[in-house]
Amino acid sequence: MMAADGALLLSLVEEFVSGLQDSKAKDTAAGVRNGQFTVLQLVEALGLSLTSSQPHTRARGVQLLSEVLHECYGNLTEREVEVLIAFYENRLKDHYVITPSVLQGLRALTKCAALPPGSAVSMLRSLFQDVHVQSLMLMERSCVYNMLINLMETREAELKGLGADFVFGFVQSMDGERDPRNLLLAFQIAKNIVHRGYDLGKFTEELFEVTSCYFPIDFSPPPNDPHGITKEELIETLRAVLTGTPKFAEFLLPLIIEKLDSDVQSAKLDSLQTLTACVSQYEHKDLAEFLEGLWTSLRREVFQTSSERIESAGLAAVTALTSCLSRSVLNSDSEDSLSTFLDLVLKDCKHHLCEPDLKLVWPSAKLLQAACSASSRASHATTAAVMPSLIEQYSSRTQCSHRRTLLEVVLRFIQSVKTSQSSENEESVFSAFRQSLCGMVFSALSETNASLQITATSMLTSLAQQTGLLLDSDVELAVDHLTRLLLTEEDDRVSLAVVDCAGALAELHPTVFITKLIPRLKKEMFSEPMDEGDNRAASGQPSHHAMRQRCLSALAAVSTRPGVVRESTPVLLEVLGSVHAGSAAFSVEEVVSACHSLRRIAEQVQDTEEMGRCFHEVVIPRLISLALQAALQGEGSSGRRSPLVEEVVLSAVVSVISTSCARLQPMLAGQTASRAVSLFLDDDVSFLPDNSFPSQIQLLKKQQGDSWSRSQMVCLLMGCVCSLPRSVEVPQIDQLMSQLEELSCTCSHPLSYNSAAKCFSGLVNKRPQGDSLDSLVQTMMKRVCRELDSSSSPVRTQALTLMIWVSKALLLRYHPLSTALTDKLFSLLDDTDLGAAAADGFSLLMSDSSDVLNRGCHADVRIMYRQRFFSENSAKLVQGFNAAPQEKKSNYLKALSNIVNKLPKQVQITELPALLSLLLEALSCPDQGVQLSTLSCLEPVLVDPPPALIQQLEALVSRLLALTSSPTMSVKIASMRCIHAISRFPEHEILPFRARVLRALARPLDDRKRLVRSEAVQARGEWFLVGSPGGR
Amino acid sequence: MKEALSLVQRVNAHPDSRCWFVSWNPSGSLVASCGGDKAIRIWGREGDSWICKSVLQDGHQRTVRKVAWSPCGNYLASASFDATTCIWKKKDDDFESLTVLEGHENEVKCVAWAPSGNLLATCSRDKSVWVWEVDEEDEYECVTVVNSHTQDVKHVVWHPTQELLASASYDNNICIYREEDDDWECRATLQGHTSTVWSLSFDATGQRLASGSDDRTVKIWKEYPNEAGQDLSWKCVCTLSGYHGRTVYDVAWCPLTGVLATASGDDAVRVFKEDESTGPDQPVFSLAAQVTKAHSQDVNCVAWNPKEAGLLATCSDDGDFAIWRFHED
Amino acid sequence: MSAGGRLENANPVIFQRSGERLLTASDEDEDVHDRIDDREIFDLIRSINDPEHPLSLEELNVVEQVRVKVNDAESSVGVEFTPTIPHCSMATLIGLSIKVKLLRSLPDRFKIDVQITPGTHASEEAVNKQLADKERVAAALENSSLLEVVNQCLTTRSI
Repeated sequence: MMAADGALLLSLVEEFVSGLQDSKAKDTAAGVRNGQFTVLQLVEALGLSLTSSQPHTRARGVQLLSEVLHECYGNLTEREVEVLIAFYENRLKDHYVITPSVLQGLRALTKCAALPPGSAVSMLRSLFQDVHVQSLMLMERSCVYNMLINLMETREAELKGLGADFVFGFVQSMDGERDPRNLLLAFQIAKNIVHRGYDLGKFTEELFEVTSCYFPIDFSPPPNDPHGITKEELIETLRAVLTGTPKFAEFLLPLIIEKLDSDVQSAKLDSLQTLTACVSQYEHKDLAEFLEGLWTSLRREVFQTSSERIESAGLAAVTALTSCLSRSVLNSDSEDSLSTFLDLVLKDCKHHLCEPDLKLVWPSAKLLQAACSASSRASHATTAAVMPSLIEQYSSRTQCSHRRTLLEVVLRFIQSVKTSQSSENEESVFSAFRQSLCGMVFSALSETNASLQITATSMLTSLAQQTGLLLDSDVELAVDHLTRLLLTEEDDRVSLAVVDCAGALAELHPTVFITKLIPRLKKEMFSEPMDEGDNRAASGQPSHHAMRQRCLSALAAVSTRPGVVRESTPVLLEVLGSVHAGSAAFSVEEVVSACHSLRRIAEQVQDTEEMGRCFHEVVIPRLISLALQAALQGEGSSGRRSPLVEEVVLSAVVSVISTSCARLQPMLAGQTASRAVSLFLDDDVSFLPDNSFPSQIQLLKKQQGDSWSRSQMVCLLMGCVCSLPRSVEVPQIDQLMSQLEELSCTCSHPLSYNSAAKCFSGLVNKRPQGDSLDSLVQTMMKRVCRELDSSSSPVRTQALTLMIWVSKALLLRYHPLSTALTDKLFSLLDDTDLGAAAADGFSLLMSDSSDVLNRGCHADVRIMYRQRFFSENSAKLVQGFNAAPQEKKSNYLKALSNIVNKLPKQVQITELPALLSLLLEALSCPDQGVQLSTLSCLEPVLVDPPPALIQQLEALVSRLLALTSSPTMSVKIASMRCIHAISRFPEHEILPFRARVLRALARPLDDRKRLVRSEAVQARGEWFLVGSPGGR
Repeated sequence: MKEALSLVQRVNAHPDSRCWFVSWNPSGSLVASCGGDKAIRIWGREGDSWICKSVLQDGHQRTVRKVAWSPCGNYLASASFDATTCIWKKKDDDFESLTVLEGHENEVKCVAWAPSGNLLATCSRDKSVWVWEVDEEDEYECVTVVNSHTQDVKHVVWHPTQELLASASYDNNICIYREEDDDWECRATLQGHTSTVWSLSFDATGQRLASGSDDRTVKIWKEYPNEAGQDLSWKCVCTLSGYHGRTVYDVAWCPLTGVLATASGDDAVRVFKEDESTGPDQPVFSLAAQVTKAHSQDVNCVAWNPKEAGLLATCSDDGDFAIWRFHED
Repeated sequence: MSAGGRLENANPVIFQRSGERLLTASDEDEDVHDRIDDREIFDLIRSINDPEHPLSLEELNVVEQVRVKVNDAESSVGVEFTPTIPHCSMATLIGLSIKVKLLRSLPDRFKIDVQITPGTHASEEAVNKQLADKERVAAALENSSLLEVVNQCLTTRSI
């Protein structure tokens, strides 16, 4: 050390100790760090202050040293550390005012890498011997805990060398701790002790006592708690301590039994969860003594609780207990504690299963099922005990509601076992009952009671999913029943269940469905309705229609395996073929359903080459061919028009095509696309079956007269080319684009120009970035603007449509040109004729469209494009609104609500403050569409209201209450939902509005419409509870 | 019917709450109303409308069930579900709380001043009737607690001239009390109603008493000299049944014209008139006027103006009070 | 009543809940006036929580649609409820909850009568008389501990 440095050090010490300049500690630390002087030199320099007769001077001296160590502990040598420890240990015996600084210094030393062997032990011995931790202040106690934590991380072996003394020292240190922050640290230490195998010696019970006295945790953080400690954190950490070792079992289990008796719901819940956690560490012998007591408490909780959380926690505990007992090795001299426990459960619960009309049947069943699901042994024992009597009960009971309860109970047993069955070869737990269970299911399926039938279908599914349980003959019988129900059962809920069940069974047993179900359904679907001309024809018609609908959806449901698909798709295609040919009388709705079934199959089949061929080489060509025949046939003749030219049917066909192209075999899909392009551009019909088309089809050319049946075919083109994976190239793209643009800007048939615009935009979205795309868009934009800027143009609507769709295509992929298009759209909000349509256009921009430009069609959709659009444009909208003449303002509000409505809630909340006044304005806007859309965007925000909204509560409530007397039912309902949501705001904010809201809601209680009344009842009921005892 | 009730004024006196009771001051210039909003309001006529002159708030913690003016018109007593009775004193144009009478175990249902102004009666769900004495210094002292009913006591009313008290109860009975050796005793129990008796009203002479009940009837009781000379003897001389669709909550005998008004849970106000041809032992009353939708909800109270014949105040669960004029040809 | 306390009837019979009322086309038609009918009243009260069990009054069969009578034109509603056992001490409380629910949910014009199904409770008359006495009902609802229990019965149970 240079002399100058020595002098500097002395003056720093002087200024800190006597001059009380706290900042000098930092300067001193800096000096140590940059090597001007060492820590030991500092100790020397402190000499005088450390030997002062004034405790406060000594304290100040130690404080300087400790603060320097706090900054510089990383660079100390082992020798230095040794000296310092000796120094500090000595100081622990000094005056109490010095202790805080001593502890701070020791804590810094516990972080030293250069801690010499043995020093950890010596430090702790001095600490435990000389310091009474709980007499210290909060910060000093925290210091002690942190020392222990630091040492446990680095000097585990040494600490363990202290043996049980370490545990005892710790127990004494934390005994009586009350601060939640310190408790979290203390629990952390206890957890380390328990989990890392420290020797508890004879202090097991002491360690348990000193921690378990906080169980169950009862803590609610103060408002605006700066420390952010939550009750959950404390609960989790304490639980880790208490459940960490089986050594605690004899203390913990009685404590849990005691706390389960508490009236406090959270204490019960904590106890149950702690029980579940601890038994995963235990063996049967740890539990044996307490089994009965635990069971009594668990049973009581499940039998009597009114809280579903407590019930499910109780059931989870039963499962955990049972699996713990199942793990125990059965040896000849020990009692089999699993069976002891199961006997208890069965004794208390089994007889309730024979009382299907009483309340306790459910909790009893749930308890048994909880035990049953725990292990294979438990499920064998439980089912053997309960199944015979359940089966017997079922056959002896006559009331449907009783039988349903019994069936439901049996079903849940089967489902509970499913979860524990793992090995394939093991025989099903239910083998012995197979015949009776099948008998139950089949008899229930033959009942006329809907809920019985529905439960039976679930049970059939569960039985089929039990590996190797059902025989082939059982499955055949099951399929017979399902077929019969599909053909005759009128109840929608039952048929839905039957269809689901058929789907599940067909996955497991496809053959029976191919040989029996599909041929039968086909035969029935194609039969003409009976009784035609008869009086009953009127009533017979809908039921025949409903039967066909059920068959169509069943055909889709069963078609997951290729073998089944091979059989089902021709049937569905035949529906379309025969209706086009006029040979079978299917309604338009039925044809649409057939298409939906085809689409569903395309969605759910495995993407194999075989399935790809099935769709691309059979299904799609057939569909296009039929549609084309229908289009050409519809034109000239004034006679019968094929249903296949209907818009709903075409849209359904498009969905089959686009799903197949998006999902199945990109190679084959590419082939489908190029065939479609040749068909539309070059009239190439070679890939179509029934190839008898005229040579000049010219689907994309403007037709003479108004032949929309041909032009609307462009939607099929969209299905083929817009859903392809982006890697697949579309041939003749430039020519295709120019023809689509032409069609969309000239055609007067809405479906045609809309589809052309969508097809154009779907392709734009996937075109690679670059000049060619830019010039394509700019050319289109020039044309569109020309039409839009000419108020006499007859195709302004068409131009607007194309522009909106292309804006969307570009917006989705963040293309820079999108701004030019959307700005044009904003400017159109002031347009007299197109203003409202432009406002609606924002809805189209922001929402997902079902047939194009979505992720399912592999469109380029960037995440958060809506937020981005919103944040770039909200200011324009507000400015536009302020500048717009009064009569145009509603277009801006409509556009705003269309945009905000589709934003994710998180964004709505952050953006709301800026927009709130506009939204409130929108609530007063006379346009009901604007009102509705604003209400629907407000409602979710109200669930977790941002502060800005609460500040505007007066305006919000007034406007909402005004809307409850709207002439329109949907506005009344939506406004009352919002008012309902406000009832959950902080009570003190809304209490002033209570009387007003209750008065205003009295009126809709007497509304003409039931739906309005019902909304008013709910909202008013909640508002009555505001500020009322027992309310929220 | 030539006679009719025409509406003079309707006032939403207790918004968002129910108006339980209205009472005219002795000079007939003011109306006091009370209700579920824990408030008492004093109303006076100014030109064609009725104006709220003062609001007596913070006197009670719960519903104010009834209010009563002292015979001098300078005091107002209010009975509340909060188990207390408040005495308010008129000071200039306002009222100040003078004293709070405590003692009942639970809801006080009714309060009434004796004609002398020196006695006050209260009754409660605690089944008791209390009589209080007032001295010159406005000090109130309970002189008697009578427990003659077996259920809550709904109403108390004083005889117009004598120190005689009547009470009506949920136990379906009416009791008549008189002072005997510094103590008030029940001297007659009037049985006949088959459900709760809600209210009582003496006629101008005090010889007859009308009662309204949950059994949907009104009964007229008459005092007869008792042969034994000791106890009072009252007999039911007339029952008005078939007129009221629901509970009769109040009856009021007009001291000036002798007609009888009723308030009912069927939302109607009715006025009955005694046939002059019939004798005192078998009087016959006939319906002289009725307004079926007098209020949009239950009518709780009817009160005749003590000075202006035919002026009737009513009030209802709908929170309104209304003034009607009864026209007789 | 504490959660650990003894229940008067620990294992009552339970009944299935009726599903939600099915929506018809006329429900959505602005021009149709939907009269208040028995089912609508029943829907108001069926989900009231029993004060003792974690079950609804419907599940305990305390209320049934056949015991609800409404006349919209005459503005009257009559409900009969059936306590689970003849000595049920909760009968008045249940009746009060039904009454309060209807008072809060129906237009003011309605006269509401709530009574025990004849012959199903030992203190039938006394309970009926109390429920019919609007003064007692009003006073009961100013009693915060009673109001608390009633409000709990009327709270939509959170799952």
